Amino acid sequence: MEHEATQLEKQHVHSVYENTAAYFSDLQTKAWPRVRNFLLEQKPGSLVVDIGCGTGKYLSVNTQVYNLGCDYCEGLVEIARKKGDEVLVCDNLNLPFRDQCFNAVISIGVIHHFSTKQRRIKAIKEMARILTPGGQIMIYVWAMEQKNRRFEKQDVFVPWNKALCARHFSESNQSGDKGECVHAAKGQDIHPAQLVISECSYQNNLQPETDSKHPSNTDHCLPRACCMKISEEENRFYTALGRSFRSWFFSRSLDESALRKQSDKMKHLKHERVWANSAIPIQHSRHCSLDLGHHGALLNEQSLDDDDDVFVESLSLKKPQWSPATDALKDLSLNGGHQSVAQSKGDKASFINGPVEDRDCTCGCGKDGAGKSDASKFFKRTSTTDSTDSALDSAVSVGDPADAMLDTKAFMRYYHVFREGELSSLVEENVPELQILSSCYDHGNWCIIAERRG
Amino acid sequence: MKLLTHNLLSSHVPGLRPGGGFPLRIELGHPSELPPEPSPGYEADEEFLRRLHHVLLEVEVLEGSLQCPDSGRRFPISRGVPNLLLTEDEA
Repeated sequence: MEHEATQLEKQHVHSVYENTAAYFSDLQTKAWPRVRNFLLEQKPGSLVVDIGCGTGKYLSVNTQVYNLGCDYCEGLVEIARKKGDEVLVCDNLNLPFRDQCFNAVISIGVIHHFSTKQRRIKAIKEMARILTPGGQIMIYVWAMEQKNRRFEKQDVFVPWNKALCARHFSESNQSGDKGECVHAAKGQDIHPAQLVISECSYQNNLQPETDSKHPSNTDHCLPRACCMKISEEENRFYTALGRSFRSWFFSRSLDESALRKQSDKMKHLKHERVWANSAIPIQHSRHCSLDLGHHGALLNEQSLDDDDDVFVESLSLKKPQWSPATDALKDLSLNGGHQSVAQSKGDKASFINGPVEDRDCTCGCGKDGAGKSDASKFFKRTSTTDSTDSALDSAVSVGDPADAMLDTKAFMRYYHVFREGELSSLVEENVPELQILSSCYDHGNWCIIAERRG
Repeated sequence: MKLLTHNLLSSHVPGLRPGGGFPLRIELGHPSELPPEPSPGYEADEEFLRRLHHVLLEVEVLEGSLQCPDSGRRFPISRGVPNLLLTEDEA
């Protein structure tokens, strides 16, 4: 599984960051205030390291301490270097530092990219190793529980594309030739309006027997396509993927597959649409809730919540975002030609913000509640293949390369989002050298501060 | 790469004896203007402290490599950034 894990991370973490590094600027994410405070509290002259520093956002917060940053991604490290930061390239799982040499370590939005529990533990243990007794570490990871919404599964792929960044889209260095990149939008050559029509008719061809089976026919609904009339102007907004959270895909957890839990879930899924492959594209529930009458309102009322504010500053996003990846995925024909798009829309936990929350989807998407039934409703498990690579490739690859409707390409980043208490337990149970001092929820992240025991 | 950073680095090539990864040999001669060991009472020696500060924090290696003392494995430094990634086979 180690090999699978490294391959998954190589493809859906490292290569994504490497390929998108050129588009990153610190404007993309705010510096979390709590992290800033943690850094500012360190005594002058302290040795502080940011493991997974990216472009070095935190490396100039406290000029009274010695700030060192490191990251796996050379591209990002280069950017930090140009800013004058002291940085190096290395692997969180094998840190090139001496034991117990740092007074403080921060790991902000990093270990959620590790695809197995063991790797996440190892990353934390490595960081504990380099801490001096009494030294402190702060760890931030994405939370499964978001404000007003919730990821339905812990292992997800989140699309990213150039639209997120303020830069020009036309740079050509985002080449599709790099084999490692996962491009999801390539095959999009249909105008969204056309897409609406074609998809709606496609809908009718889907297995009808399940229509009546369950009130919430969320599994085959393609809400955007069915429910929205898209104007030319609105098209523009769909060319920009504003926010990672808005569109995401489930992944089968490598840990789970190792434990063969999926076979149990399969039983629940047999009456539902099933992807043939392991990676399941799931339509964001927000889309499900759109309905013809209100879509205009949606467009206007979409508001940023705190999470979004913190994550993306460079776009003023008052419009819904659409992932080209999801578009592309809808067109995929996988085994049997089925497309299964599950709408995750729990009654309580909904990804929809504000006004959109309780809309009915006139195309028949249920709003019941997935919350009630088992989680299997939200994701379609599929193949028994153990290879996530091929699954991922087929899930996101699009058969007909054509001019992208969207001038952007989407990369899929892998995340393991953490449940409440998971990070703390992970440390308590596996990293005895650390003692947790505090934990909290901050802007969609679970955060802990721990101290290296004496 | 500042020399203070170098002071924190250790080779992590697998299979080294304990401590065998430190210090990494900087392959780019930098004349050492400092004595090998700090003399007693160095904290009060202003002149020494200045030179120490200079060497640790004001000298940067831009191009070169860091060599693991035990295994000989070299880690490159380019444009001021050391790359300490091991290959998949090594790790």
